[in-house]
Amino acid sequence: MNLVAGLDFSILPQQLVNGLLLGSIYALIALGYTMVYGVLRLINFAHGEVFMLGSYAALFTSWLLGFSPEAVRGVDRPSTWVNLVVMLLVSMIVCGLIGVLIEFLAYRPMRNQPRIASLITAIGVSLFIQYAGGLFLPQSPPPAISEQVNPYRNEKVSIVLKPAGQEIVAQAADATKKAAIAEKAYDDAQKAGAPADKVEQLRNDAQIASNDASRLQTQVSSQTSGLVIPYGQLGMLITTMVLMAVLWFVVQKTKTGRAMRAVAHDFDSAALMGVNVGRIITITFMIGSALAGAGAMMYATVLRTPLSPFLGVQPGVKAFVAAVLGGIGNIPGAVLGGILMGIVETLVVWLDGLVPGLSGYKDAVAFVVLIAVLLFRPGGLLGSSKVEKV
Amino acid sequence: MVKLNKTFATTFGLTAALALGIIGASGCQDNSAAGGTTGTAGTTGATAGGTTAGTTGTQPNASPRPTPQKDGATIGDPIKIGLVASQNGDLKPWGDDNIKGSQLAVDEVNAAGGINGHQVKLRIEDSNSTPETGKSAAQKLISDGVVGLLGEVASGITQQMEIVAFDAGVPLVAIGATRTDIATLGSNFFRVCYTDDLQGPVMAKFAYDYLHLKSMAIMTDNKQPYSVGLSESFRKAFEEMGGKIVDEQKYQSKETQFSSYISNLKSKNPDGVFLSGYFTEVGPIASQMRTAGVTVPLLGGDGWDSSELITSGGDAIVGNYFCNHYNNEETRPEVQKFLADWKAKYGGVPGTTMGALGYDGAKLMMDAIKRTMDAKGTKSKDLIAALEDTVDFPGVSGKITLKGHSGNPPKRALVVKVTKTGQSFVKAYEPDEVMKK
Repeated sequence: MNLVAGLDFSILPQQLVNGLLLGSIYALIALGYTMVYGVLRLINFAHGEVFMLGSYAALFTSWLLGFSPEAVRGVDRPSTWVNLVVMLLVSMIVCGLIGVLIEFLAYRPMRNQPRIASLITAIGVSLFIQYAGGLFLPQSPPPAISEQVNPYRNEKVSIVLKPAGQEIVAQAADATKKAAIAEKAYDDAQKAGAPADKVEQLRNDAQIASNDASRLQTQVSSQTSGLVIPYGQLGMLITTMVLMAVLWFVVQKTKTGRAMRAVAHDFDSAALMGVNVGRIITITFMIGSALAGAGAMMYATVLRTPLSPFLGVQPGVKAFVAAVLGGIGNIPGAVLGGILMGIVETLVVWLDGLVPGLSGYKDAVAFVVLIAVLLFRPGGLLGSSKVEKV
Repeated sequence: MVKLNKTFATTFGLTAALALGIIGASGCQDNSAAGGTTGTAGTTGATAGGTTAGTTGTQPNASPRPTPQKDGATIGDPIKIGLVASQNGDLKPWGDDNIKGSQLAVDEVNAAGGINGHQVKLRIEDSNSTPETGKSAAQKLISDGVVGLLGEVASGITQQMEIVAFDAGVPLVAIGATRTDIATLGSNFFRVCYTDDLQGPVMAKFAYDYLHLKSMAIMTDNKQPYSVGLSESFRKAFEEMGGKIVDEQKYQSKETQFSSYISNLKSKNPDGVFLSGYFTEVGPIASQMRTAGVTVPLLGGDGWDSSELITSGGDAIVGNYFCNHYNNEETRPEVQKFLADWKAKYGGVPGTTMGALGYDGAKLMMDAIKRTMDAKGTKSKDLIAALEDTVDFPGVSGKITLKGHSGNPPKRALVVKVTKTGQSFVKAYEPDEVMKK
């Protein structure tokens, strides 16, 4: 371990990967913000809530597929990738529909009003969904999606750059064997009804042996320099990239995409040219919200955070900042912004070794980066800021 | 995909301001939300702070407590007792269990003919999970003439209720407020749970003596005073025994990706990790630790207590240990009877310990009312004296003795092991074993 002033550089590559994976979550949600903003000039503050509803949709689907807490308690239920795909699709469809519904009920009546009216409406919708969710959604105790629905939960990609020393590997293997023997001796003594002090003695021995084993295993893992990427998180990263590419293709290369760009450019002119503006806006909301649904399903399944009606608030804010950082309205910008945010936050945690207490400021640092970027590039990293002629 | 609009600058200015507003709001939610996660949450919102000040449960009359000036309400017919609980907001899950438990106790007493022939009426007010609303809820109940108050599960709300109850001369029995120093506010304050001074030392002793772990790392939820206080008391006790704390990582409630903290911690090679936060984060942390190759034992406080810990933690959390108030598997007759009654009335078992503690709080209050009436007492003032006289009350969560303990009953704490189906009992610690002064 090359420790410099409290900083452990051997874990830096892993930390960068951690940041990339964290950022991919932000990026996925940021795509939805950016799409709607791009077309409508509306910050859809309810996007985080659509995300929240998507995670609940995934939860209910997992229950229907037979992975409710009661069904999996104490048993190992086999699962296949089909379940994951079903959950993903249901979550995307539900979110797409909710997005359309929100647009139709809340934003459409406001379309010809000043922009500020839509913005306030967006905040209203966001709060409405949070608190209405509090009335109807299960939250007591906060439910989480069972890990058993994910057949790949224990799979990971391990890239070994330099394996741990043979000596420690041998020690760990030896300790693991000893722990198993001690554990068996303890079990046998318990079953045979040995005297209490003898059993206690064996329990102590087994415990100490198992401590040695787990400590050495952890040491082997920490002395192996390389990268660990869980399948689930890798899946999130890949999905983000694929969705970004698909989205970019749709917007740039299809007829609907052209219409979207036309609407974004000039509402009234696009309508005069025969673009069905209402339909384009509906499609925009549908796609943006479906992306949130995809993100929500993976977030809830892979990270298995317990759900609450307020689940969407924090990722929503982070993703919004990521979208602005990358240049709101710009698709690759949203992904870049998200990943940058993730890496900055992770590096701040890593730097905690140098400046103790720094990790508590990681959100603050992320915002400082945002402000710094906006000072020099007011349109965000990939956004174009044109000087307006007055 | 789209070029920047001319109104971007103004829109951004506005949205930035609004976004900050939302961040502010989410901050508040964070405080009370996770503050609520077990109800033993140290504090919510207004009263965030340290948890170690004040008197300890085992120190009889460590400091004299101020006595209320007023005599309070009169015991009437029906006998009215008030409960402030979180029926809405982030603490709802714990508030719901508290209400169910307390209502069960009251119904039971009423079905058996009430107290000396008088029926008991449990008046419930919502605190909406905030100290401010909790305070006005307590005021409302007191103006309704309740003879005693029950609640809350979170220390921040309880503290505000105590201020109101003290002024009115009404006794307050807290359900899940573990913050130690609330008890110093007045001689009308009592609780049925243990304090934060107990959990840290219990787990430190368990880690050092029982699990033989000599070096530990800590992960603290920096946004939760409960977690910060618990980490502190664990660290202190563990180091006093001769153990070594090799690292402390501080995350924040509602984070979901903990790999950066875990990478930091892993390089310090601890024998075990103490996770002082709530199950909402502990579950994901445990599973991410195992993925990252950290296989050492994990330990925690009552913030782990939820039936959902196993869903969010999965296989990774199974076999690890935490400190709790009581356990559904205990064979004591109080526990068995409570679980049978709960099942008959609501079905299933209580999801959190707040069911049992809410039951104990109401039972204790009614027991004291009976003793007051037997002694010809009529006022809240007499009820306070009766509560103070409580010795060995057989609660579901263990024996409760308030006499001479300044409102903080010395209670036993259990260490339980997480299993695939719930929790299994491992070891009980009596307060005298771990608290030395």
